Parts: sequence; structure tokens; C-alpha cells
Amino acid sequence: MAERNSTDSAESRYSEILSPSELFAARSRCHKIPVRGQKDFFPNDSGEQRQRLEQSLSEHWSLTSEERVERLGNLVKATWIPSDQVVELQSPAGKFWQTMGFSAHGKQYLLPEEALYLMECGNLQVFYKDLPLSIQDGYERFLSSNTVSLLQYQVFGHLKRLGYVVHRFDPSSQPSTYARQLNLPQSRDKVGRQPKRKRSVSPTPMPTSSRTEKQDSTTEMMEVDKDEKDGKPPESHLMTSPETLEVQCSATSTADEDGGRTWWSGDVLECKESNHSTTSTSSSRWDFSSIPFPDLGSRESLSDSLTSPDPSLLPGGLAVGVCEVATWRQKINLRKVAMSSKEQGREDDRRRRRGDVNKDREVQQCRNWTEYQELMARRQSRCDGRPAHLWNREVTPLHDPRQPLPTRELLEKINVIKSTNLLEGVSRLKESDEWGIRFSVYQPDSVAEFKKSHPGKPYSHMCVCSFDGPVPDLRAIKLLASQTGDVPVVFAVVDYGDVSFYTFKDFQLPVDVYP
Amino acid sequence: MLAEFRAPRRRNRVHEEYEAPLPVTQSPEERSDFRAELINQHVLVRNPDHIQRIYNQGYFGKGILSRARPDHSISDQWEQHKGLCLPVVSQSRYEERLKWAGAALSAQGLDDEAVSQILTKLSQPVEAEDVRREGPQPEGGVCPHTKRLRLESQDLNLSSDQDPDSDPDPGSNSGSDSDPDPEPVVPGPGFVLVDCDGDVRSTDSESRSGSGLQVRELRHNPVSVSEYLQLSVEEAFFLVYSLGCLSVHLHQEPLSIIQLWRTFQSQCPHFISSYAAYHHFRSKGWVPKGGGGAKYGVDFMLYRKGPPFYHASYSVVVERVDDAFRDTALRPFSWRSLAALNRITANVSKELMLCYIIYPSDLSEVELESPDCLSRLKVQEVMVSRWVSSRERAEQDDI
Repeated sequence: MAERNSTDSAESRYSEILSPSELFAARSRCHKIPVRGQKDFFPNDSGEQRQRLEQSLSEHWSLTSEERVERLGNLVKATWIPSDQVVELQSPAGKFWQTMGFSAHGKQYLLPEEALYLMECGNLQVFYKDLPLSIQDGYERFLSSNTVSLLQYQVFGHLKRLGYVVHRFDPSSQPSTYARQLNLPQSRDKVGRQPKRKRSVSPTPMPTSSRTEKQDSTTEMMEVDKDEKDGKPPESHLMTSPETLEVQCSATSTADEDGGRTWWSGDVLECKESNHSTTSTSSSRWDFSSIPFPDLGSRESLSDSLTSPDPSLLPGGLAVGVCEVATWRQKINLRKVAMSSKEQGREDDRRRRRGDVNKDREVQQCRNWTEYQELMARRQSRCDGRPAHLWNREVTPLHDPRQPLPTRELLEKINVIKSTNLLEGVSRLKESDEWGIRFSVYQPDSVAEFKKSHPGKPYSHMCVCSFDGPVPDLRAIKLLASQTGDVPVVFAVVDYGDVSFYTFKDFQLPVDVYP
Repeated sequence: MLAEFRAPRRRNRVHEEYEAPLPVTQSPEERSDFRAELINQHVLVRNPDHIQRIYNQGYFGKGILSRARPDHSISDQWEQHKGLCLPVVSQSRYEERLKWAGAALSAQGLDDEAVSQILTKLSQPVEAEDVRREGPQPEGGVCPHTKRLRLESQDLNLSSDQDPDSDPDPGSNSGSDSDPDPEPVVPGPGFVLVDCDGDVRSTDSESRSGSGLQVRELRHNPVSVSEYLQLSVEEAFFLVYSLGCLSVHLHQEPLSIIQLWRTFQSQCPHFISSYAAYHHFRSKGWVPKGGGGAKYGVDFMLYRKGPPFYHASYSVVVERVDDAFRDTALRPFSWRSLAALNRITANVSKELMLCYIIYPSDLSEVELESPDCLSRLKVQEVMVSRWVSSRERAEQDDI
């Protein structure tokens, strides 16, 4: 608050209280912001233009030289405590308390940048050693390397003036990578979602032996989440129903036990002890003697397709068709071909009948071994038509145009360069001081229901840098991405008071196959 | 947090049909063996069939006399004349072309008299029956009245930017029975209609039909300029290595893949990074076009399906990083240049993408000599966008 030289200077030199006439003048000031009007692009030395310019200049000047007048009662008083770098409120806080400040030891405190911002707004008066601080004092004292820097304060102020709620970034409020992997339920946002449970693989052999399969699937931990299932162990085509059995067994266990997630013990006990026939789809006790399990591994020739299972074994509404197993069967039980002596003899004959190589005229024209090899190479490339200079060298093309493939498979075939995402390889990187998240920003619309204790998920995380500084490289982007969770990181670039915001976001280009 | 994918914008008027995503066929009968030449550090495809296949199926390359698609033709104006569809040139242009022919003949060593004799013979009017007798040449000409047809390309020894040892391609003159139009016969590039009264007429056909003043004479075409398709080094290497359908010849010798890789590497110092990015985008089914440097300041523009169908969706800048993800700065950015590039990209309604090629630390020089090193590289795509803080809060959606 600037001091005002009033007329009675002797007694009220340090007083900021206005006399009634001054107050009236201040109150009745015109609140209109001067309109800029249309721009003139070049001077034309006319009196009219000069007059217009002078008028708008003087309007701007008077506006910027205005002194702010506030009610003394509205000013919240506070003191600056340099040891803690906080500002302690002496009088009760106003409306700003909803989004700014914190309580500790029964008293109300403000962070220095918040205090400075409120001072500039005219809502707060900070005292230090019983003397009020000016704005300049505030800038000098409150902004330091221990608190926030000038650049960061400029960003803070810019966002606050637009109405956002800005808090200092608290790294501990971010879930760690481990917690994120566990995917614990978020308290505020994802209320209705049930936690995902990772599927635990039961310690049985991989399902080429199908007999034990269905039994074990009932004893595995089931997923409650009805969204797509992740992390399924590799299964054969046979696994049409097992993973969908979860609903039944979960129903049974919770129905019979006391609701605790005793998947393992409950199901094992039940399935083993009960031998009743299956009653209905919802509460079924499996009778394994009556459920047929096809044996794929047997050497006898079974039919080439599996009939669809009994719909009563499947959860409601699921219809599974016939399953073709011919190709899979071929891959089981492969053996080396043992040719009988007669077959061996036939092979030899075939080879012999190809004729004497020397009778070939072109071969006779070859003068040395190199030419003969070239002849063979030419013949080879002629018969399969592949250009020799591409295919007969160390590096061959990825795709042979003589073996046509549909486009999607062709694209997959040539996809030798893998894409990666931002979070990969981050654990190797060390923290850097240069780039760090400074603020959490919340949407201005949520001010009404904003609670300081549970702010919820921020709208973005702000990272501040100077326009003359370097652009973040991939390393910095990755580090920040790992710190931030799933909140976007915004870079606030400050250019002598002007702030621009840029984001660098991870992206995966989708595969586009047309048609 | 992942950037959201915005659907590409279709162009308003699409003149072309989509043939195939890549110039390799689905049917085993058709052959895909294309031939290109490496001339003066440029990869050129000269055979007109190959040009059409390569460009139409995947939009590789650029015609050297055209803006994008190789569709250079003598005249934009075509007319029907006694049942033949022919290009029309004005008298002045015809004389200009006669002069070119004369210059070419003199350069071959003929004396002036012989030259003028040949030219007089060449500029005699031709009867329509002679033209018809010659039969429809392969692939007709470019007739703008119909759908865009295949372009003819007959080699004469002109085209000053070619090497003098460029031999005429024997394949292009052999007739094939492709006559796309049943009614007006489109003869080969050897014939033009000359507008004999010398004035420049208006170009719509309606105004000419009734007027009896204009005489059109059928003449031989004195000079035929052939157009080639120029491929960038990334496109050429992709066709050779990934699809196996192109062979690049240097002085009539076909180059192997490793030779081609090393040649390109010596030509362009950052070939590996830009090729890795190109290969990555192609294997996702997008069409990257280079040459956006002068227009947009970036390395590639990504199109969905191809330039005639959609506006480019992304402008890509390729960066190279090492194992610790530090820049080795192919093109160091400052905030100023990044802001400028962002603005330009936003003005043309595209999105700026930085494509980082990550080189593992144990990649030796020897491995870089062969394209097998590509499988060890990784690609990271990052979208850059600007956030405006002061937008109306009610309309503000997620960053």
C-alpha cells in the first residue's frame, strides 16, 4: 500500500487513511477501462490523430498511476516469519481461505507466494517487525530460492488471476510406481470401479493336457473386473470357458463363506467335497464325471473338431461354437520321418535320374568353377525369379513380393522398429534438478466445492522454465512423466512476464490399414 | 498421459481412386520388379509402367516436372479432331518446340542445312489416317477430359538434366493393347494439333465449337519431353529393403542392399535416423512424404492413405537420442524455434510430432553399416501442443 501525501502531512505522514473528500473521489472513480480503439498503422501528421493518441495515452497513464483504495476492515493482517518462510495470519482469513493457505498448530498460515499474490490483490497486509511491507519488500523477501523463484511466481500469479487454484507440488501425494501397478482404488475419483486383481497363475502344467485344466481353473483366483482381462497366460484354443467361470465360483464362495476372499480354500474344499450334479448355472457344483474332457494328445484319430460344450456349463448367455483342432493336432506329436529302405532307395533313384551334369551344354561352356557358380546362380534366380543382387547377399529384403500377404500382415512383417512409451526405461535415469514439477493446478470451475484437504486429481502439473533456457529433451520429458502419474505436465515458459504453455505428450500412432 | 488421436481430415474434393496401399500385389501372377537408376545422387524411375505403379500404390516419389504426381503433358487442352483426341498447342509454342528439336539435332553434329531439311519435313501436316494407322500407342496421353490416364513417356535424347549416357528405355515403345477410351482414339505422343492462326485462344471448348475461323492442323510432335519419377533416399531404400520390389542400378549395375545402405549413408549424414522414422511410419500404414522442409520446416508430413485423399495430419521432426535419452541434436531446438514451428503447424491445422529415435549404447559402428541395426532402434513419438490458459473456462476441455 503506497503512502499518500495528504494535505495535513504533519500528523498523518504515515497514515494511509483517506480523508472523506479523498475517499469520495476515489470511490467515484470511473471504473471503465479505456477502450483501445482502432489501430492506425502509420502517422499522418494530422492534428486529429495526435489528439487521439494523446488522449489514450493520458487515459492509460492515469489508470496505471491510480492508487488502490481498500477498506481497512477488509484487509487481513499477517506477519512474516522468515525462519519458517511462511506468513502467519493475525486476523481471520477472508474468502481466499477456501483455496489458499494451510493450518498448523492451531494457527492459519499462508505460503509466501500466496501472501505476495494477496498483497498485490489488496486483500492482505503483511507486517514484519510491526511495520507493513510494501510490494517491493514482498518481492524481495518472499521470493527466494527456498520458496519460489521469480519466474515461478509469475506463473503462479498468472494462473491465479485467471481463476485457477494453484498449489505447490507435493511429490508424496503422487502414488508410487508400485502403487500404480497394484492399481489401488482411488478414493475420490474412481468410486464405482472395482479393483482389478491380477490373475495368479496356478502351478499346473501348460494346457496341452486338458484334463487337469478345467479343474484348476476353478481354483484359480478369478478376476472380478468385467472389463477386458489382462495378463492371461498363454492358452490353447480349448480355453473357451474356463476364465469365464469366475462368476459362478465367486458367487458360491461368497455365498457359502462369510464374504472374505478366500478363493483358494473355499473353492477347493467345495469342488472336492461336493459331488452333486449341477443344478443351475448360477450355483453349480461341477460333476466332473459327467462333463466330457476331450483328449487332444491321444494318438488315436479323434474328429477334427470339438463340439461345443454344454451351455449349462457356461455362464449365462455365452454360446460357444465348434472348435477346429486339425492344425493344432498336426503340431503335437511330430516325429522324424523314418523312411523304410524302399523309400530311401526311391529317393536315391530320383536324384540319380536328374542326369549327368556334364552333358549340359551351358555347363560345358563354363571354363572354371566361378563361372559354373554364376551359371547356377542365374538359373536359380531365373526359376524363382528373385533378383540375385537382392537375395543372394548378406542382407535380404524383409519381404518377398512373390509371396503375397494381406496388407495388415505385411505391415506387421516389416515392423522391425519397435515403439516405446515415455515410461519405459525411466528407472535408469537419475533425478535432475533442472526440471521438476512445481505446481499442481486445479480447474477454476471447481472452486466452489474445492476442499484443501482433498483436492482430488489436479488438472495439470506445471513445470516452469525460462524462454531463454533449453527446451526439455526426451530425458527430461521422461523424468517428468514418471513423476506425474496420469496428470498431464504443462511447461510454462516465461518470457519477461509473458507466459506461454506447452505440453509434450506421449503418443502412439495407430496402425492404419485401408481397407 | 497419452495424447488423444484426432481423426484426419478428408479433403473436400477427391479426384483419384485408391488403388493399393503398397506396390506389392496380393496376387502371385503380377510381378513387382521395378527398376530405378541412381544418377547424380538422385534415384529416378524411368519406366512409365513402373512410375505409375510406384506412385499410384503408396504415393512414393514425385514427378520431376510436376508438383506431385507425374502428370506432365504437352498441353492442358485436348480436343477431338476427326475421331482422335489430341493435345492442342499454339503456333508459338509449336515453333518453340521446333527450335528445340533443331537445337538437339545440331548438338548431334548435323549441319544447318540438314537440320532445316529435317525440320521442314517434320512440320508437314499429317493426315488423320496416318495417325490412325499408327494405331493407339501404349497408354495414350494425358487427357483431362477423361479420368487421369497413364502418362506416356517416350525417350528422345533431350531432357538436359539427365546424364548423357541415359539410354532409351526399350520397354516403353512396345505396344500394349491398353486403350482406355473406346470412342476417341488417343494416339501416342507423336502428334499434336496446332492452332494455326497464332493467337492465344480461350481454353473452353464451347467457345471454339461454333467458330469456323480456327484451323487446327495435325502435325508431328517435334519434341517429346519425358518425365521421370524421383524417389527420395528413404523411399527408395524402403522399396528395396522392406518390400523387395525395387532394384537400384548404378551405371547399369544393380546395387545390393548393403551397398545401397552405405551409399545413402555417405550421401546423407543422418540417413539412419530419418530412414528409421520413415520405416516406422510406413509399417503403421501411414504415408510419410518428405520435402516439407521448405514449406513447413519439418522432416515429414504424415498422410493417411495418401495426399490426394486426406490433409496431412502430422508434421514430424526427427530427433536422435542416445541410450540415456539425451539429445545428440540433429536439430537443436530453442523455445523460440519451437514456438515458431508450433505456430506454423497450428496455422496449417496439423499437429507437431517429435519422433525420437533411440540408439542403444552398445550399437557399434560396424553394426551401423548394415540395415540389420534397425531392429535395435526404438521409436518414441511425442506430441507438442500449446495450451492457452485464458480460454473460456466453460469450454475448456482436458489438456
